[in-house]
Amino acid sequence: MTEGQKPVLQETPGNTKLPLSWRKETKPHRFCPGCGHGIALKALGEVVDELGILDRVLYGCDIGCSLLSWDFFNFDNIQTHHGRTIPVIVGAKRARPELIGIAYMGDGGGYAIGAQHLVNAAQRGEKITAILANNTLYAMTGGQMAPTTLPGQKTGTTPYGREEAKTGLPMLGPELVAAIAPEGSYVARATVGEYQQLKKYLQKALLNQMTGGGFSFVEVLSTCPTNWRTNAKQTWAFLQGEMPRYYKVGEFRTADAPPGEEEG
Amino acid sequence: MRRVLEAYVGEYASGKSENAINRGLRLVRAGRRVRLVDLDLVEPAYTLRPLKRKLEAQGLQVLAWETKELIGPGEAAIPLKKEIVSALAFPGDVIIDVGYGVEGRRLLNLIEGGFAQANGEEALRLIMVVNTTRPVTSSLPLILAYLDEFGAVDGLINNTHLGEETTVELIQEGAVLVTAAARRVGCPVLATTALRPYARQLGSVDRMGNPVWPIERFMSGAFW
Amino acid sequence: MGIKIVSRQLSGEYEKVLRREQRSFMTGNEVVAWAALAAGADLMYGYPITPQNEIMHYWARLTPHFGRGFLQTEDEMSAGFAMPGGALVGKKTFSATAGPGNILMQEPIAMAEMMRIPGVWIIQQRGGPSTATVIYSQQELRLTATGGNGEGLRIVYSTASHQELFEYTIKAFNSAWRYRFPTFVLGDGYQAKMREAVTLFRPENRGWELVPAEPILCLPGVPARDRDPVHLRNTFNLEEELYTRLMDQLAVYERIAPEVTEWEAEVPPEPEVLLVAHGIVARAARQAKESLNRQGWKVGYFRPVTVRPFPGQALRQIAAASPNLRLLVVESAYGQLLAMVKAELYGLTNPVDSLLKPGVGITAEEIAAAVDQTEEGEAVS
Repeated sequence: MTEGQKPVLQETPGNTKLPLSWRKETKPHRFCPGCGHGIALKALGEVVDELGILDRVLYGCDIGCSLLSWDFFNFDNIQTHHGRTIPVIVGAKRARPELIGIAYMGDGGGYAIGAQHLVNAAQRGEKITAILANNTLYAMTGGQMAPTTLPGQKTGTTPYGREEAKTGLPMLGPELVAAIAPEGSYVARATVGEYQQLKKYLQKALLNQMTGGGFSFVEVLSTCPTNWRTNAKQTWAFLQGEMPRYYKVGEFRTADAPPGEEEG
Repeated sequence: MRRVLEAYVGEYASGKSENAINRGLRLVRAGRRVRLVDLDLVEPAYTLRPLKRKLEAQGLQVLAWETKELIGPGEAAIPLKKEIVSALAFPGDVIIDVGYGVEGRRLLNLIEGGFAQANGEEALRLIMVVNTTRPVTSSLPLILAYLDEFGAVDGLINNTHLGEETTVELIQEGAVLVTAAARRVGCPVLATTALRPYARQLGSVDRMGNPVWPIERFMSGAFW
Repeated sequence: MGIKIVSRQLSGEYEKVLRREQRSFMTGNEVVAWAALAAGADLMYGYPITPQNEIMHYWARLTPHFGRGFLQTEDEMSAGFAMPGGALVGKKTFSATAGPGNILMQEPIAMAEMMRIPGVWIIQQRGGPSTATVIYSQQELRLTATGGNGEGLRIVYSTASHQELFEYTIKAFNSAWRYRFPTFVLGDGYQAKMREAVTLFRPENRGWELVPAEPILCLPGVPARDRDPVHLRNTFNLEEELYTRLMDQLAVYERIAPEVTEWEAEVPPEPEVLLVAHGIVARAARQAKESLNRQGWKVGYFRPVTVRPFPGQALRQIAAASPNLRLLVVESAYGQLLAMVKAELYGLTNPVDSLLKPGVGITAEEIAAAVDQTEEGEAVS
């Protein structure tokens, strides 16, 4: 795909209205210019508005850039330790099943330091929604390799590019979760480059929790121009061109289709 | 001579080991060849192991872990000693102390010929030890529920006591409860067991007419 | 089998076990499970490790009859972090662990400490370092009292009998939810597994007030409309922000410390030796004291019940009142209690001896022999 083939954001032109569940007092948000978190969180806010669940949401955020969302919303938040947002939200959801538990984290928290929590919460079918932003590296700590770093990608700890022989291939989170999660789980990979699809997946993930379906997991391909050291065009090209070569966007498990029958 | 094959089962800390040891020694004193088997899948190192030498000096053969054989005592690392699987092949009496971690009749699956023996001429009898001061077996409905979950047993033993606070009246109250439970499930009460001083005061039978077997305390020489 | 029918019938029977106040013959772990029930604990999040497993076994067995919850998590960190999750939304949560599990628990405990989220941890100490052994040990004193990357703003009760395990577990839930500092019952493998008589009771029947659990997050109402949203954070922008916050917390901790601190002291007139021990070892120390007193020794006994906050002032007063009083610190660890004692006695000239047996049990006879043998001690330096 060449640069500039797709519109920058697939959202309604002129939509500058803030979601009700966004906390206006804490805007503008604290993310870097061009960061994908703002887009993912905007979509989440709109979905919470549309579902009318503002009073039931418990939102947990991890360490890493995701923690900068700690006061982003009008719903209650707990900022936890690196990788530990899933168990905190599981602990709350088990205590008060009427709540809608959302665990928001980055790829380091979900796939490295807290991978055991993602795997086991999925395997147990915990009725929470985990949302993971994949920007291919650790951003807050200064751009180190993440499990999601692409082959050849340069980071602080792979100064000559990630070598498969030494550190493996990018971690495929939704594929892993889809393989182990019980029936009733919802698993998808979205991208901040496809806004309406991102919203649709987040809505299905929350609806799946609300209807008691089971574990819901959405990985969101996101951008980090600061640590990628990219300008706007290059950022877009990496998100829309490079990342999809390893990361297939689509639904991996839905309530309608049994494992293995979803289309990408 | 018909062999005595008995497995002592029941709630955690109900006195299974104490009763199994005393039963084994009684049989030894009657001139029989007896092997005591430690079948504890959770704390294999802490029940009979520390007593092994002392008991063997009294003529009881003990099949339990030796300290030198153990790596990681207390953890469930290699808890089932392979000789225990064929414990019933021993040509004499076999008393199995079924420790914590083995609930229900399924334990017979672990002993070669356990079920066959249970149905055959030389029956492996399951004997449940009950201490009615243990909270989960402290009333008739609770004992019945415990038995219901465990499955059929061949007899009950009333081993009611409160350690140093035991009284004769307490043992008698235990006998009443255990006897009522036994009648409901249709199995006999084999005995009320009590430390010698209490047994002497109880006489030859308890309030419900069950025989009283005096026992000695050995487990204080173990870990608890 | 009609297990559900049986279960419903049994809930009344189990309730009677708590209410009738009869003596029961029990293991320590079992006592803790019943105590958590009596204290109104809602949920246990746990991960298996010897020697605390029977706390989970009995909790899992009893809770369906009392409408409480249990989850076996993937590790201690998950259990430890699920606890504040439940506590934040208004439920009483607890866990039990030991040894390497206690190490992993330090991460969530540090978060609870920073954010003042209540929780109760039962620590059944095992031998260390590493996985070591599972019965005799007091080597987790330092880790439990002051582990984690912080200042040790914790409440730690060190128990010495099953009755205490029952009562201090209930008390721990009250302290945790009253003061909002991580609260611990520090037992050990021996207490966990040993058997003795205990009286269970419903605390309400003895006039004990149970501190209710209040939600910190997800209170009623629509946030931003009926109330402000609650945003909790434990990452701070600058040193000044952390310093201000921490100094406030330290001030709260120091204010509540005097009312939390508990100890036992028996000091004869003109004492020659003061035995200092905590937990199960204190029980042996007390026996030793009594037998030495019968032989004419003027031996006293001091036992911190809260090892954090430490009853330093009480100990210091006893020592200061008799400058020649020799202290003998006894513990199943290599100087963890000793260091706490010496810190509290700084500046006094009382000789301090010790009987230190890391990871090994200590009998009353050994303690009595140690008093007999060590006539001259070293001064506190």
